[in-house]
Amino acid sequence: MRVQLNMTFRTPKLSALTSAALAIPGLAHAELQTDYLYSHYAEGDLPAGNSASGSASERYTIDSHLFRVGGNLGAGDANLNLTLETMSGASPWWVQPDANGKPVQVMSGASIDEERVDIEASYGMQFGPIEPVFKAGYSSEEDYQSVNVGVEAQYTPEGGVYSASAGIGYSDDRIEPTDGGSAKYPDRIRSADKNSLTAYAGLSWIIDAQTVLQTVFSYSLHDGYLTDPYKRAYFVSVANAVPESRPDGRQSWTLSARWRHYLPALAAAVHVDYRYFQDDWEIESHTVDLSWQQRLGETWLVSPSLRWYSQSQAYFYAPYYADFREDGFASSDYRLSPFGALSARLDVRKSLDQHWEVGGGVEVYDASASYAIRPVDVENPGLVEYYSVQARVNYRF
Amino acid sequence: MKRGILALTALVWLAGCSTQPVQPWERGDLARPEMAFEPDPLLAGYRRHVEFSKEAATGGPTLGGGGCGCN
Repeated sequence: MRVQLNMTFRTPKLSALTSAALAIPGLAHAELQTDYLYSHYAEGDLPAGNSASGSASERYTIDSHLFRVGGNLGAGDANLNLTLETMSGASPWWVQPDANGKPVQVMSGASIDEERVDIEASYGMQFGPIEPVFKAGYSSEEDYQSVNVGVEAQYTPEGGVYSASAGIGYSDDRIEPTDGGSAKYPDRIRSADKNSLTAYAGLSWIIDAQTVLQTVFSYSLHDGYLTDPYKRAYFVSVANAVPESRPDGRQSWTLSARWRHYLPALAAAVHVDYRYFQDDWEIESHTVDLSWQQRLGETWLVSPSLRWYSQSQAYFYAPYYADFREDGFASSDYRLSPFGALSARLDVRKSLDQHWEVGGGVEVYDASASYAIRPVDVENPGLVEYYSVQARVNYRF
Repeated sequence: MKRGILALTALVWLAGCSTQPVQPWERGDLARPEMAFEPDPLLAGYRRHVEFSKEAATGGPTLGGGGCGCN
């Protein structure tokens, strides 16, 4: 849930237009509006050729219900977001070599069934050209709780062609793995904590009457138990898989640019997003997101988009290990492996009248070593492919 | 990283150089919902959470939400 409040001491037309044009997410002014979004997410089966069992294995499915209510409440604007998710299926456990040394995936034996509840609230105000927004959130699932707080602000000078924005957030997380320390999994931890600090700062410009550009730098510091308590890593020297282990600190940086251009003749907007990411686990990543926002008549908005993602591997990652590393770290998690991903999306929204709007969307995502920006020697057998479909209804009072 | 900073710096510099004052009555197209940096925060937030769960790189122009995303 997200709550956002904006106190409007003055809203001159120029400021309003500039603010709308350069708004950062969560800072937009709105009348009272309610949104509901349903999404079904399903991962493709692990292919038999990548599976240690020699047969295909089902993976994860997630059903999500997202509710949002936002609007003017007294002196400001508020947003509340509530997310309810049910998750089930099997997930990658460890990777081991087959008889020919090819890495194959071992999946978690038992089916996982979980639920997650996420509530986010934000409260925003306007003090002349400065718009601060305060945020808080709580996420809970059976084995994981997270509390986060943050503040964002945007500064838009009167008559200016730019806006400056910045934000800082803190998250305090606790994990209590299922069956941790049990007779079945005696080497699985019982509980652990981690916290994260995230900050960003950026500038947005009006380039011309149809073009805006935003550039943002962000920094994150993660501290605590950053290992996945369920995953294991395989060592040939002992012919066994033991709990994976990652460093207890991680710092990352991103540089992002977002470009928007409106084509009046086509009644369409072009979006181009790029993000560069780097962290001290030696992972480097590039993301490019292209979107076309097409108005059809007065009531339709059709938005096809294409996303490309590429990452290098963490310095301690390997599909499996000949022997233990001196630093003791080991992980075969495909999310730390070198790979690339392509996803295609199509989103449609239709206004029925001045109050009701309906919509839907579909996304297909495929991860592969062949999409990576640099050649990959050995592809992780657990790379994911998934599709998701969405349906939604919005009501504006 | 250095190349990225240089590219971004160049982008910022070029953007600043090319900026001409855009009058209030010329900003109608910029204020269209589909021209927002994030036109659909609800859907974008959902997709960011999925990507956060499947990829190593996170972060950018927004603050993250909660959740493990372990599986």
